[in-house]
Amino acid sequence: MSTFFKQRLGNHARELFRYLRYVFNDYFMLALIFFIGGAGYYYSNALKTLQPNHTWQPLLILIVLVFGIQLGRLATLVKRPDYVFLIPREGQMHSYLSRAFQYSAIMASGIQLIITVILLPIIELSLGFNSLEIISFLILMVTLKISWLDYDYISSFQVQDKWYLSKVMIRWIIPVIVLGISIYLNVYIGLAVSIVVCVLLAFKKNTAKYNPLNWRKIIDTEEARMHGIYQFFNLFTDVPMISGSIKRRKFLDLILKKIKLIPQNTYLYLYSHGIIRDNEMSGLYRRLTIIGGILLLLVTGKILPIILCLLFIYLIGFQLIPFYFHFYDNVFVHIYPINQKNQIKSFQTVIGWMLVTTAIIFGIIVGIANYKNVNTILGVVFGEAIELFIFLKIYLPRRIKKSEFNR
Amino acid sequence: MTLKVTDLVGGYSQVPVLKNVNFDIKDGELVGLIGLNGAGKSTTINHIIGLLKPFSGSIKINDLTINEDVDGYKKQIAYIPESPIVYKELTLKEHIEMTIMAYNLDVDLAWNKANELLKMFRLENKLDWFPDNFSKGMRQKVMIVCAFITDADLYVIDEPFLGLDPLAVDDLLNLIDKKKREGKSILMSTHVLDTAEKFCDRFVLLHDGHVRMEGNIDELRNAFPDAGESLNDIYLSLAKGGE
Repeated sequence: MSTFFKQRLGNHARELFRYLRYVFNDYFMLALIFFIGGAGYYYSNALKTLQPNHTWQPLLILIVLVFGIQLGRLATLVKRPDYVFLIPREGQMHSYLSRAFQYSAIMASGIQLIITVILLPIIELSLGFNSLEIISFLILMVTLKISWLDYDYISSFQVQDKWYLSKVMIRWIIPVIVLGISIYLNVYIGLAVSIVVCVLLAFKKNTAKYNPLNWRKIIDTEEARMHGIYQFFNLFTDVPMISGSIKRRKFLDLILKKIKLIPQNTYLYLYSHGIIRDNEMSGLYRRLTIIGGILLLLVTGKILPIILCLLFIYLIGFQLIPFYFHFYDNVFVHIYPINQKNQIKSFQTVIGWMLVTTAIIFGIIVGIANYKNVNTILGVVFGEAIELFIFLKIYLPRRIKKSEFNR
Repeated sequence: MTLKVTDLVGGYSQVPVLKNVNFDIKDGELVGLIGLNGAGKSTTINHIIGLLKPFSGSIKINDLTINEDVDGYKKQIAYIPESPIVYKELTLKEHIEMTIMAYNLDVDLAWNKANELLKMFRLENKLDWFPDNFSKGMRQKVMIVCAFITDADLYVIDEPFLGLDPLAVDDLLNLIDKKKREGKSILMSTHVLDTAEKFCDRFVLLHDGHVRMEGNIDELRNAFPDAGESLNDIYLSLAKGGE
């Protein structure tokens, strides 16, 4: 079974690399590098001026680490048909899962170490750790993460729910307690507690593995995990496995009813209904518009609001582009006696309306936040107009043509 | 002559699945497309509805090929796929609106027909539901409703009987009969041979990418005198003998 996992892992890695090729082969990567560089620069500058503070800084460290520890899940790499095909091997699945656990633990610990190292300057500044304490703290983060993953492993089997084995307990309460002790009291006590927890869970793991597997849970969690990965890749290329949930959103029928039922509007009808109802797309649009709006409300300055505004509109528009191919696999769009040339025009119309709405919202917010600064407001308005024109008329068709070519 | 398939060679990639297929369907005729799994039924259908491009040969609907006028060609076809294909974002009502829009139908007239059909298939109170959540049989009914509100000349129906309840099968056969009397043509692929025997005017027996036999049930019986009476017996002896 452990060679079976190795084989799965190989396939998984190959799949990831295949998609990563598309990710790195993109303007978005450039934007991301600039963003990371900018954020790093801003962070290092902020660190230079930072004074030690014993109230908000420890609290910030605690919050960041507790949320950070939620990153990285147990990658079992199981597939839905497994529960049919692997029925006769169920007794040996624990050796498969322990391999999966080892792999996941290494990856997840890596993430934890990166997060902690990024935070180290603040930790040193605020808590005054010496090097031995820092090393203990890093070990503590890894043991906490391993305990976190133990929960995933144990609940892969059909075990009775106990209060001390619940998700909230292991993933939130224990990390808060352990990190609280280490930050406010003593890091060595925190480390000791986390090691005890980890050892206890290791015993529990050992007994749990003789129980029957909880196939449904394993498959559902693994599919949810892969869905997250595919969602990311779907921004860059077409991922066939992606399919989101549907929400009715009846209140928007008012807008949808305005579409006349004529052949030229077939794609307009499809795209507008599709984007509004598809939770993936409308959720993304709503989230980014709200986050952008809040950010713009808080940010003042001459240039910064303009840059943020344009960046967020680009980010939203960019992520909506893959929806162009959403209906490609439905035979009926190929069978309808309609002119396919309307497809791109309809898509531009729908995306256009969405981005114009966002642009207006952003414009109003910038106006409120910077009402004294007429130049910034004018800059936002003109910047948005130019960006929308370039995005919709030049960038969008080119990008679609490029993806069409790659399909 | 509604449909005329001449010397059709075709398939999905370089390798031809269909090797020289010839048959036709006259106005008001129901033709059954019969064959084993992998014989080329679906490939034939995909060529007719224009999803695949023939390597050579031609397909004409009312003397029009797809290359002469794409929209004009497609306007003449209504298609019911083997496994129902619905838009998961659209309600039942919106599926019907899509069809009205795409085929440029008269809204009131189409809705009259649609309401009648919806009632027949007991879907009239589900207009605001998402067919994506329906059972297979009910989704199949949605496909039937959408196909039968169009003014198509050729109905291409891929294995309609599996998953439909007996009442719906009966209703579908009545609908087909009505269309036939209006002079429309139907191409139907199926494995349910006893139903096909009762209702089809002619049969096209596909085997390994060739038309092995074509004709009505009497012609088939004459061609295989030893095989037996029913289409099932004839087909079995042909399929086994063909190995």
